[in-house]
Order: sequence, then C-alpha cells, then structure tokens
Amino acid sequence: MRILAAVDQYPYSVVAVEEVAKLALNTWADVTLIGVGPKLTSKRSRSGEFPAAQALDQSFKDAIRRYRENFLSYFQGEDSPYQQQRCGYEFIEVDKGRWEELYVCRGARKDLKVRIRQGKPAAQILAESYEEGVDLIVIGCDQALNCTWQGIDGIPQKIANNAACSVLIVKDAPKINRMVCCLDHDRVSQASLEMINQMVTLHHAELELVGVTTGEALRADVERKMDLITRYYSARNVKSWIKLVEIADLETFIKQEAQGSLVALWMGEKSILEKFFPMKKVVRLISASQSSVLILR
Amino acid sequence: MIKALVSLDADLASSIALRYACQLANIIAMDLKTMHVEDAAQKGSPPGSGWVRRTWENAMLKSGEVEIGQLIQAEKLSYPALRAPKMVVGDREDEILHEIQKESYDLFIEGALHTFTAANFYNKIRSKLYRHTPCPVIMVKNLVKLEKMVIIFKEEAELKRLVVPFLKIFKKASIGLDLMYYQFAESEELPQDSNEDADSILHNARQILMEAGWQTGENRSFRGLPEKLSEVLRDYGLVISPFRRTLSRKGLLLEFLSRIPSPILLCWQ
Repeated sequence: MRILAAVDQYPYSVVAVEEVAKLALNTWADVTLIGVGPKLTSKRSRSGEFPAAQALDQSFKDAIRRYRENFLSYFQGEDSPYQQQRCGYEFIEVDKGRWEELYVCRGARKDLKVRIRQGKPAAQILAESYEEGVDLIVIGCDQALNCTWQGIDGIPQKIANNAACSVLIVKDAPKINRMVCCLDHDRVSQASLEMINQMVTLHHAELELVGVTTGEALRADVERKMDLITRYYSARNVKSWIKLVEIADLETFIKQEAQGSLVALWMGEKSILEKFFPMKKVVRLISASQSSVLILR
Repeated sequence: MIKALVSLDADLASSIALRYACQLANIIAMDLKTMHVEDAAQKGSPPGSGWVRRTWENAMLKSGEVEIGQLIQAEKLSYPALRAPKMVVGDREDEILHEIQKESYDLFIEGALHTFTAANFYNKIRSKLYRHTPCPVIMVKNLVKLEKMVIIFKEEAELKRLVVPFLKIFKKASIGLDLMYYQFAESEELPQDSNEDADSILHNARQILMEAGWQTGENRSFRGLPEKLSEVLRDYGLVISPFRRTLSRKGLLLEFLSRIPSPILLCWQ
C-alpha cells in the first residue's frame, strides 16, 4: 500500500500526518509526504536549476521536515520499517552449503519520501498520485472555513473528485465513534474492505454498512454481498450494523451522519452511488461534514 | 424447553435472524424449528387445479429448498441440532400464523433489517401476523452478540405483565439483564416527573424481577426524545419491550422501537 499525504503549514496538516502515521503503523505502507509551494518567478541559474536554498521557502521546508519527524515518532526503535540503515553481522550463504558471517547493511523496509512540488496544489498532488501509483491520498482541511486548503477553496474537493485512487479528507473533529459506509456492495473491492477495516480499528469505531434500496428491498445480489461483508467483519471481530436507506433519503441520511460519523462512500466507476449521489453532492458533503470523509475507489 | 419458530426466506434478513436464533438456542433451552413459505401469489397465478397445481407448487418448493438449505447448512456448525425447514406454499403471513397457533410456539423469530425511515417497521407491526400472533416476537434487525439485554418499561403494571413471558423464555439464562424506566417527550422539554418517582418505580421493578429469580445489573431511568434513548440502548444484544397492539401509529414507543438497531423482543400486553 502506498499513501500520499498532502501537507502544508496549517494545523490541520498535523492531524492529517497523525492519521497517516496511525494507518502506516497498521499497514506498513510506503508513504510520501508532499508539500506544494508556489511557482517561482525568479531567474534560473546558468545550468537551468534553482539551488534548493533559493527555490524553497525555509519555513516551508522546516514544516515539512517537522512532519517527517512527527511521522517517524510513531515508529520507535529497531523495528521501524522506515529506519534507513541497519548494519550487523549475519551468516550469508556465499556458495551452496557454504556460509560466511559478513557485515551487512540493509536499507529501510518501507519507503518514506518527503517531497515538495511547485505549482497549483490540486494539480500537483494529483500528478504525484498518478506518477507514484498511490492507493490512498490523505489531506487535511480547515473545517472552520468550509474545508479550505492553504486558504484556497475547493482543493480537497477537487482531489476527491479527480483522483484515481481512494481519498481521505481528514478533519480535526472530536473522536469518531462510528464509520458509516455507503458502499456499492455489489462490486466492493477487497482493498476497500481492508481500508474500512483499518479505519474502524484505528478509531475503535463501530461500523455501519448502509444498503441503498430502490423500492422496499435490496437487490438480491447486493443482499448476498452484504451478507458476505458482515461475515467478513464478524470473523475479524469488527462490530458491524446494517441499515437500509432508500435512495431518495440518501442525501438527508448522509448529511445527518456526517455530523458525527466518518462517512465512507464507494465512488468507483461501476458504482450505483455514482449515479444517485453524484460528485457535486460529494463535494458539498466534503465541505459541510463535521468529520472526516473517505472516498473509496 | 421452549418452542421457537424462525421464518426463513433466501435473503439477508433471514440469514441474520437464523444466526441470531442459533446464538440464542445455545444460551437458553430452546427447540428451534424453521419454516419457509413459498409465496404463491408472488410467483403469479397457479396454472390450474388438482395435479397440475400440485406439480407447480412442488416445483416452487424445490427451488426454495436449495436456497434455504444453504442457510441451514451454514449455521449447522454453530447449532448442530438445526433441522431442515418446514416448506409450505401459500400466503406467508397466514401460513406462519397457522403454524404458530397449531404447534403452540412460545417464540417467533424473524429478520427485519434496520431502516433509516420507519415505514417498513410500521407496516410489519400493523401486519396480520403481528396483530394476531399469540406468542412474543423477536425482530432481528442486526446480528449482535447476546451478552446483555435490557427490559424497557414506562409503567409498573406493564412490567408485571411482562414477567411471565420473559421468564418462560429466559428462565435462568446466563445473560446480563438491565432495567430502563423511560418517559418520552415529543420535544426537548422533559416531562415533569421527578427523579424520586423514577427511583421508586425502578426499585419496585427490580423487586418484581428479584422475586422472579432475576438479579438486574444497571437500573436506569430515561426522560427525553425517542431517538436519544435508541442511541443509549445501542450496545444491548436484545431490547425487551412490553407492547400493546392498539398503539397508535404516531406513538413515541413505535418511533423509538423503529430506531433501535438491535434485535427487539415484543411481549404483547
């Protein structure tokens, strides 16, 4: 699993990095911390490159470094998968049946990259996610200002809208007790099931699986899938509740739940939710929700 | 040993109800029977009468048997005494009601998934089956571990009437039991009843259960909106409520019961 954490110098990014660290603790994910700075207008050197000291704002670089330190503080000691180098004597089979004790230095088991890109934030974060093939983008936002990022409107929403992978928009909300998952249960992927499992475990939250009905009942194939999902979580000791919501009531329901629960929406290409709960409604949800929102793909 | 009937269809609600019933059967002495009614009306008009009709019905039952058989097989591991279901063709409610009355069942269990709006729940409560069934009913809305249950009541007389069916089902079962005395309000303004009244009612209720051999754990009172109480009771594996069939559709108890995500046991008053 590869996680891309988009960070800036605002306090909500501290919360986002904490969330990523907790996720990485459970999943041993490869992680990239990415900051996006403004594009430079000053002249380049003869070689065509900016020296880093000149190109990047010092306080921005310091903030990103602090995030790396914060992240690593969750992984103490020798067992940290991000520890750069560990050296020691090890017996290595140098030939068939012949072993020799050699002094070996091994690199980190998992990647932790810290990067800064310049340009428009949403475009740069999305570009990084495509280039690195990430599974999850995590981004915080300022809840008091309708989920702005770096003081700009609509960046987390744009990322949620255009990313090819899952996106977690982290809000500095009080403790989450419940995670509400509106899934297209007919075609739910194993990766998204695992993601939900991780989030529920991290927050010690209850899981509410929402079956979207058209008419009084669920479709037979959706029912079968929900049955399998409840068995899957029950086997993992995750307490899960089922609730049926009529498609006409879905927006009201999600608005209500978004006041205190982490709302997860499955918005894959083949999702029926995509049809009934289009992206413009998701964007509104991200702006208005008091708690974090997870868009699963 | 009580006799319990579980209604099964090939759906999620039945799968959950059967798993819950098996869990219950491992806790209390219970002879668990299952039944599937192939609703002929839903499959269209019968093609004729006599032999032709019987052949048509048998074909319907065969197809249902396979799906229900899979449900039963899956739960046999947790409750080996589970047997093949009784398969009947006819009107679902009529057939189940007839079976409950004929075999004198002590408990009826069925799945009724929790919904955001209360319409489905109200329809079920108003159904012919619920209006006429003589035994208590467990509506399984979700599959939860039955470690703790709660009796809710708003009058002492209700609780007294509830004790008999409650004892018949649970006798000396080793499940934690709490008591909740409630008073609903239609708005945030609370009823004027004092705490002393609630304490004294709870004390008497605890005495009634103690005399019946049940020691209660937490004894609490609640005053406020139905949705708040439904959140308070979320952790219980079973919510036991006295229930009058004449309750108005707009009643706060009905609204509350529709909002509870846990299984509920309705004891008719």
